[in-house]
Amino acid sequence: MPNNEKEISSFMKCLFAGSIEREMVFPHPQMDKEEAESLKLILESLRQFAADNIDAGEIDRNQEIPAEVIAGLAELGLLGMSIPETYGGYGFSATAYNRVFEEIAGIDASIATTFGGHQSIGLKALLLFGTEEQKKRFLPKLASGEWLAGFALTEPGAGSDAACIKTTAVKDEGSGDYILNGNKIWITNGGIAHYFTVFAKTMVGDAEKISAFAVTRDMEGFASGRKEEKLGIRGSSTTELTFDNVRIPAENLIGPLGKGFKVAMEVLNSGRLGLAAGCIGGIKRLTEMSVDYAKNRKQFNTPIAKFEMIEEKISDMIIDTYVLESMVYLTTALIDRGDIDYSVESAICKVYASEAVWRTASEAMQIAGGIGYSPEYPYERALRDARINLIFEGTNEVLRSFIALAGMQEHGEYLKEVGKALQSPLSQLGVLTDFAFSRIRRTVATERLEDVDAGLRQEVGKFEEYARELNIAVEKVLTKHKKDIINQGFILERLANMAIDLYAMAAVISRLDTALKEYGKEKVSRELQIGKAFCEIAWRRIRRNRRQVEHNSDPLHKSIAENAYESEGYDFDLIS
Amino acid sequence: MKIIVCMKQVPVQDSLLKITDDNTWVHEDELNWEINESDNYAMEAALRLKEEHGGEVVLLSMGPDRVKESIKQGLAKGVERALHINNEDFTTRDPFINAKLLAAAIKQESPDLVLTGLQADDTGFGQTGPILAEYLGLPHTSIVMEIEKSNGGIKVKRELEGGWFQSVELPLPALLSIQSGSNQLRYATIKGIMMAKKKEIKSLTLADLGLAEDEVDDSNSSLNFNRIFIPEKTKKAEIFEGDPKEIAAKLADKLKNEAKVF
Repeated sequence: MPNNEKEISSFMKCLFAGSIEREMVFPHPQMDKEEAESLKLILESLRQFAADNIDAGEIDRNQEIPAEVIAGLAELGLLGMSIPETYGGYGFSATAYNRVFEEIAGIDASIATTFGGHQSIGLKALLLFGTEEQKKRFLPKLASGEWLAGFALTEPGAGSDAACIKTTAVKDEGSGDYILNGNKIWITNGGIAHYFTVFAKTMVGDAEKISAFAVTRDMEGFASGRKEEKLGIRGSSTTELTFDNVRIPAENLIGPLGKGFKVAMEVLNSGRLGLAAGCIGGIKRLTEMSVDYAKNRKQFNTPIAKFEMIEEKISDMIIDTYVLESMVYLTTALIDRGDIDYSVESAICKVYASEAVWRTASEAMQIAGGIGYSPEYPYERALRDARINLIFEGTNEVLRSFIALAGMQEHGEYLKEVGKALQSPLSQLGVLTDFAFSRIRRTVATERLEDVDAGLRQEVGKFEEYARELNIAVEKVLTKHKKDIINQGFILERLANMAIDLYAMAAVISRLDTALKEYGKEKVSRELQIGKAFCEIAWRRIRRNRRQVEHNSDPLHKSIAENAYESEGYDFDLIS
Repeated sequence: MKIIVCMKQVPVQDSLLKITDDNTWVHEDELNWEINESDNYAMEAALRLKEEHGGEVVLLSMGPDRVKESIKQGLAKGVERALHINNEDFTTRDPFINAKLLAAAIKQESPDLVLTGLQADDTGFGQTGPILAEYLGLPHTSIVMEIEKSNGGIKVKRELEGGWFQSVELPLPALLSIQSGSNQLRYATIKGIMMAKKKEIKSLTLADLGLAEDEVDDSNSSLNFNRIFIPEKTKKAEIFEGDPKEIAAKLADKLKNEAKVF
């Protein structure tokens, strides 16, 4: 193994390669004291504002967020909290921003979508890649809420496969302007935002490459379509955007010409974490509702809370919340440290969080029973709102492929030829990433998770054992499938699932260890229960996924699906 | 106009209270705290007066270190500075003693107007305001809904019972106890929260107030908590029998002689 100067920058990419970069996840990060204090006051103010002004049921029924609510959030300063002070915002960390986003999502999912469309992704490209001039021109109005922002990537023919967008920006050699033509669909804030980050194909030399542009509603030829009706997040404005010879000044190009795909991927890497944080807010709210209902609903002369099948559901909700908090805020802290590749980690958080909130919404409805199915109660709205998280900002299927393939990249590098082959499918994988090949700092990394509190010995042991198993599994599948690994969806899914559980375990162990060292066993006993219960579930699940990498009935499933395609569905009939 | 607002930090409404083993108070360390509701309205009234007429709003609070969190909320909403009587080392629940402490701090500031909430949501005495006015020798009125500046003084609208209001004029300086719901409360903005970091919270000790510990200690209090308890649930139903006339007579007798509602 080569000993490189270039430092590895991803905990999970290292882990796939068999190394545990302890210092990236230990100790569990704690927010800067001063920022934490401001954050508490902001949350308090937000809760009060929401209690007085926000009716989530009404927003859902009217399919509209009242303008006063958005104006109120702007007035509070929330629409510019992640924008630096120089540009009229408040320069809060990713951790603080996501914590606020979590709170908003717990209040109303439509507002969270609007808020995230604006700040998590809409204006993010400006923050990450904008020139000083662009930042000065656009950010103050976006920070004050005078303008909302949107992110326009998706097209009818380009969903997960974002690289194949058809919108074009052709340079007008005379003026130097770009002439934008094409259309975008499913654009959050499409009907209400003034500023959009738009991705279009541009010519770079002889090659067609994607570039990012700042586009505003006042440009001639810009139009947004009618508001789409949706299953959930119905209050948010989702529309089509059309560009008919929209003239964009050259100074509106964001990032280098032809580097738009990298811009989009970086934005989505951080956007996905916001989404995960939002799911935590939703789960917390649903858990409160479920606990309250289970304690008060009596059947068989007993509060249903006492029945073990209900207790199982409630404990699952608590465990999911704890695991997600541990993972998401560990990852936001990685962003705040800077220079760290958190793309795999953020995809892991998104997948876990979106599935957890869906599971929770479903179980909350189950606990509520019949009334849960009635629109007079918030359960069915929560279920509808939760569903989109499995789809947008990278479907969970694409993200699982990404987690496994990007994770194996370090390894592929080691197996040279496979590594090379891995590069191209990865860049094809739509929403994915820009691949800076970074290598493992073997000198520091070890294969053990050292200096962890003795009370967590068993969990640490399992983590190390299955980290090794992931590494072994990767080596086996790469040796077996080589370049064809990209077509092995069954296998990729299992590797991704192993990675998700391992990152979750690492985050939980880190959080518990940090708490144990600071407060002692007695004060952390309830958290220990939660963490240990999770690690037990996680390692057994990893073990099952590991076994199924080699022992499975994948060929049967593949054949069944292909036969179904052939016969256009289910073609058996009992009455024949 | 210089206005002092007295603010008490109280347990969050609907807190689950656990009573201490000696049955004289509740376990405070497990509680979450917030600004007393009517004090919030007092603060809002003060901020509005300041915005209209200029001047300064000073927040005065008493309690252990934790009250600083509530003070900061006030500073974030636009209060200029705060005084904090830190009673980490002594506790008092007696309105007389509390008013004495607050008065000592207020005297040093010579404000034009002192506002308190109508009553604290925890102990609910509603006495600290009036007693404080007596200590300060200020004219006082309570259940105030609106404040207007008038020639040389202020004109206030008070809420009486049965939907009646009363208009009262007072000279300044004066002390008013403010009713909840009298205004729309403002929210702390991030801008305000960031600005609050630079604002002063002056910590006051007993020595700063010129008081000795035995003057303010519970042992010196005229108020003793013998036993506190969660309201006991009682169920008592009596079913009258007989014809309607007899039942009516029995019921009237009970209401008159037992329940004493007539």
